[in-house]
Amino acid sequence: MILDIRALSFSYDASPVLRDVSLSMDAGEIVCVVGPNGSGKTTLLDCVTGYLRPQQGEIDICAKPLRTYRRQALAQKIAYVPQHHHPTFPYRVRDVVLMGRTAHTGLLGAFSDADAEAADDAMRQVGIDDLADRAYHTLSGGELRLVMLARALAQKPRLIVLDEPTVSLDFRNELQFLEALTALVKARNIGALIATHALSHAFFFERAGIPVRTALLCKGQPMRLGTPQEILTRETLADAFGVEAQISETTAQGETVRQITLLRTIDKEDGTA
Amino acid sequence: MRRQAAFRRSVPTALFLCALPVGAIVLSLFFGRYAISPSDVLSALFRPSAVPHAVLVTVRQLRLPRALAAAFVGASLSASGAAFQSVFRNPLVNSGILGVSNGAGFGACLAIVCFGSGFFTYALSFLFGAAAVVLSYFAGRIAKRNTVIMLILGGTIVSAFFAALVSLLKYIADPYSQLPAITFWLMGSFASVGVPHLAAVIPMSLGMGLIFLCRRRIDVLSMGEREAAALGVDVRLCSLLVIGGATLCTASAVCISGTIGWVGLVIPHIGRMLVGSENTKLIPASISLGAGFLVIVDLLSRCLTGSEIPIGILCALIGTPFFVYLLKTRKGGGWL
Repeated sequence: MILDIRALSFSYDASPVLRDVSLSMDAGEIVCVVGPNGSGKTTLLDCVTGYLRPQQGEIDICAKPLRTYRRQALAQKIAYVPQHHHPTFPYRVRDVVLMGRTAHTGLLGAFSDADAEAADDAMRQVGIDDLADRAYHTLSGGELRLVMLARALAQKPRLIVLDEPTVSLDFRNELQFLEALTALVKARNIGALIATHALSHAFFFERAGIPVRTALLCKGQPMRLGTPQEILTRETLADAFGVEAQISETTAQGETVRQITLLRTIDKEDGTA
Repeated sequence: MRRQAAFRRSVPTALFLCALPVGAIVLSLFFGRYAISPSDVLSALFRPSAVPHAVLVTVRQLRLPRALAAAFVGASLSASGAAFQSVFRNPLVNSGILGVSNGAGFGACLAIVCFGSGFFTYALSFLFGAAAVVLSYFAGRIAKRNTVIMLILGGTIVSAFFAALVSLLKYIADPYSQLPAITFWLMGSFASVGVPHLAAVIPMSLGMGLIFLCRRRIDVLSMGEREAAALGVDVRLCSLLVIGGATLCTASAVCISGTIGWVGLVIPHIGRMLVGSENTKLIPASISLGAGFLVIVDLLSRCLTGSEIPIGILCALIGTPFFVYLLKTRKGGGWL
């Protein structure tokens, strides 16, 4: 088990965000965290990366309590792909990816040849090796996400935490990102914890043959956890998001493809249009 | 292969950066108000018994310490500026962002008003420069999140506070004796620097050393607090070390030279145009550019006119056109 969250609660000052959340993940598994804005997706991710300290509950990373890790040791287990990254200074792509090796360096942070190789490997696996010498502030949004993914990969983590990794990407770049992520989850047998608004990503990972679960967060309710099919239903979407949705199945190239079509907003309380 | 090619391309830049401060210091030994022939300057350095006492004193106890002080001050301000810009993820930040300049300015003015000039000017300006940073740091730590923005805000507020105190002291200072001293100090000058002032070289070197040791962590810190933490950096400890180092060297620099703006803001940008943004290269490049630049500007400040032009003024007057020229010819080098 690479991640084990037990009875986690978190509140900012007086307003509780996460209540009694439990979740455990194995290597090679993907968990998609979905939920409306402000339901605590990012907060949950921040607790897992150790950026926030939960008031209650326990988090174990690779069978060791999170709070006993030092920053550097934790970064060898967990990598993080941010929701937004604004390049401030024009580092080269190669140097940004190499920063993923920081957790494996000594006191002064000097990189060895092995680190450079790990960074090259990561860029190759994500498919951005041709961008290596570009200044990363000149990249497109899609390319920048892939750089962030390569940097996380260079960290050689057991678990990658991604905060809305495909938001604001066009659909080809979105697919490309998902394909890269799928490939490396399979190839390196690492886990991925993904906060996302794209509900159908769970179905994509399922079709790719990766064990996947969906966790649905909703303010004031306990977290719902299960297979995408169990969680993403007409009823739960109406309840959590206040939308009327239709979940349909079609067959494309011999595969069953599940699709969510959003129809209209509805009142959350009585569930009527 | 690619690495070798990149290495070969960077050799001329590296040689230039190494030669610049040394060349500037040597050059500044040969010029000044008191005309000394080049051969006498060389004799003063290598065969002290062969030259008159006045020549010996001018070269060894005035020009050399002054050039060394200017070099270290320029290096300190530039290194801290470069480090701060990365740590605060903000290219508009300069070495005085956490209030060190205005704090030191207040300390110096207080000393001038209360004790006349002398030892207390240095002691108090160093003390208040460092105190201003500590105040800004704790002001920034009040908020649990967005600490970078809060630190900059804290620094700006503390700076404004000390600027107001400086104005107050100017207002109550004696307009015939104290006010000119205050004004002159605030414009920055190496005119009064002698051998004893070189004691400040020790804290300046320590501070720059600390920044230099943190250079790779500074790269990671410039990715933002959340990402830096996820990459395995102890953000709090690291920024504290960088801020500590920068404060040590800027406060020591400011207390012997007075406030010199511009250097800590623009030299790091010139460095980025020449060597790129990686702090492994940028910090050393800023150190030698800052050192060379300030020595040359100080040389000009004492040679251009009959009376000395305050170096703070000359820095901006010479530096700005130079910066624009670089921007135009190097197209910003991928930067700006």
